[in-house]
Amino acid sequence: MTGGWAAKELTELGLRTLVLEAGRPIVPEQDYVEHKPPWEMPFRGLGDRRAIAARQSVQRSSVSFDELSHVFWTDDVDNPYSTPADRPFYWFRARQVGGKSIIWSRQVYRWSDLDFEANLRDGIAVDWPIRYADIGPWYDHVERFIGVSGQAEGLAHLPDGPFLPPMDLNCVEQHIRQRMQERFGRERIMTIGRVANLTTQHNGRAPCHYCGPCHRGCITRSYFSSVNATLPAARATGRLTLRPFSIVRGLIYDQRKNRITGVRIVDAQTRAEREYTGRIVFLCASALESARILLNSDVGNSSDQVGRNLMDHIKWGGATGQFDGWSDRREIGERPNGIYVPRFRNITARHPDFIRGYGFQGAADRPGWRSALRAPGVGAAFKQRLHDLGPWSMSFWGFGEMLPQADNRATIHPTLVDTWGIPSLHIDCRWGENDLAIHRDMNITAGELLEAAGATNIEHPNGPSTPGGTNHEMGTARMGRDPKTSVLNGWNQSWDVPNLFVTDGAAMTSSGCQNPSLTYMALTARACHHAVDLLNLHEL
Amino acid sequence: MERRELIQWLAATAGLRCLESLAPRDLLALGREVHRCAGAPPGRALDAHALQTVTVAAERIIPATDTPGATEAGVSAFIDKILADWHTPAERDRFLAGLPELDARCRARAGKDFVDCTAADQVAVLTALDDEARATSSGEHWFARLKYLTVYGYCTSEPGMRALGLFPLPWRYDGCAPVTR
Repeated sequence: MTGGWAAKELTELGLRTLVLEAGRPIVPEQDYVEHKPPWEMPFRGLGDRRAIAARQSVQRSSVSFDELSHVFWTDDVDNPYSTPADRPFYWFRARQVGGKSIIWSRQVYRWSDLDFEANLRDGIAVDWPIRYADIGPWYDHVERFIGVSGQAEGLAHLPDGPFLPPMDLNCVEQHIRQRMQERFGRERIMTIGRVANLTTQHNGRAPCHYCGPCHRGCITRSYFSSVNATLPAARATGRLTLRPFSIVRGLIYDQRKNRITGVRIVDAQTRAEREYTGRIVFLCASALESARILLNSDVGNSSDQVGRNLMDHIKWGGATGQFDGWSDRREIGERPNGIYVPRFRNITARHPDFIRGYGFQGAADRPGWRSALRAPGVGAAFKQRLHDLGPWSMSFWGFGEMLPQADNRATIHPTLVDTWGIPSLHIDCRWGENDLAIHRDMNITAGELLEAAGATNIEHPNGPSTPGGTNHEMGTARMGRDPKTSVLNGWNQSWDVPNLFVTDGAAMTSSGCQNPSLTYMALTARACHHAVDLLNLHEL
Repeated sequence: MERRELIQWLAATAGLRCLESLAPRDLLALGREVHRCAGAPPGRALDAHALQTVTVAAERIIPATDTPGATEAGVSAFIDKILADWHTPAERDRFLAGLPELDARCRARAGKDFVDCTAADQVAVLTALDDEARATSSGEHWFARLKYLTVYGYCTSEPGMRALGLFPLPWRYDGCAPVTR
């Protein structure tokens, strides 16, 4: 995700840029399989259960892991890590050109000063060194390039962007939006998801054709990924060199000059070691992998904050309810997007039980033939039941902010190594009291939304999720205002080693409740321009 | 198929039954036996008889009407694949232990194996089992598994998805389209 952005920005600014990717190359014409129908899969979409249990026992818990997309997730045997026995953590990892941008859920929401000022206001952790005014133009920059479809709503705490036309709400979602408006006014609103799927031709990429499984690739390049957009842009400059199968073992640090002079890699296939040199280094390996590289290199950590403050978003709170009616209406096509209910807690009134808040994602749909899997009968009448689409139901799934805690921490494991002999991580992370209070409130308010809209049979999920399970891990090399308490300054630049930048989720000082990738991308683009400014001023 | 492959195939699994009955050098007899066995080849988890039983049962659950049924959708091959390569040994064994009940009930009813019974007898036996499976509260009844896999296999097959209007894809989104069937 961010690696592609660093490649695009740095090459376009005139730098010859080497991208080191731990995994294999991706050739869309061969590797994208979104149009393969179920009957061409040996297990019809159920996945090769035995192989997955043997090799991907962690990765299989990701929501976008399936029989075909499993190739875009790592092998857990080759890439081990540990946790305390009673505190599981899901570390979802993607090693291939394009990384997680191939399998992300593409939801993009801006942060606002409600988020950037939160730590200062609450006296939590450390203050963000930036405010919305610093990142706003970079949100514009990123959104204009990637293409985001969405509906402007004019909310101060969820700023609008230069949106492409929104996708449609279906009939039941329109009804619920209307009923919410009547009951909650502007306090709790529902809008169509803001998603990096195109609804019009955009920068040479085709609009979405609603086939459904985006996490298996997209041959029309209709959603944003590094493979679909940033890496081609970087390649077009003639200044990009991309080296797949390059696992970074560590950074090479020159103590005399206090600079990173290069990177030491091991070739994933041949296991040969190589060194590459450069004037500046951007770590964009994902939050935990970047922390692992820093810790294994023993650089940039004079604050002792590398690996600490690990955050995710808490989920599996919310509700699902059934709607009678609209039985003569159905969805046609697969909309790669749902609804969004922006955060409404602790905006104006203080909630007595917790600080911060959460947003809801979700969708209304009908189950189709799956509702007949357990239906009674045999024969022609039963067969006719397969055509019944079943009742409409609506789900609200909460995504809650997690507070940074110094003890939620990844450290280098004393003995465990990966297949290439690189020391692995031990990850110790648990929800805090505030996080769990947020989770409890999701169940309450999602029920209120469904009741207001007239739903029946309201049920709640069995949350909370396992930390890491939302795939929004972040915070392990935080930005801050003080070198003693943070790893990076306000430009994602290492306080300790000035030619080192970390621009993935590791840089996050707090977690917000919005899906974070857009902010990672904006921070990356901003940091690249700053780094090149410094190079031009001979300050690096 | 080459003759050597046929012998290997016969030797490999349920074909042993055929191989035992051969005069070793009697090629004509080999040919006849191969032909007979090839007419009802075994699956990987299901022997030839069990596979035939599952095929007929699936077709009675989802019969051909104005649209294809379970047989044309290849449902029994999918069930065999799931039993062989996806289920745990315990899940597979529970299914394999339950399946002969179809023969036992048909023999009690009409003196014949399930596949040789009339369609009416087959449907009666399946309907009774469906009712019993739905009333079971202690774990999943083997018949519930058969029916689940039949529905899943049919609805993910090309004939099934075409019949249900799920294929080809519409290449557009309409969130409020009329239900036409």
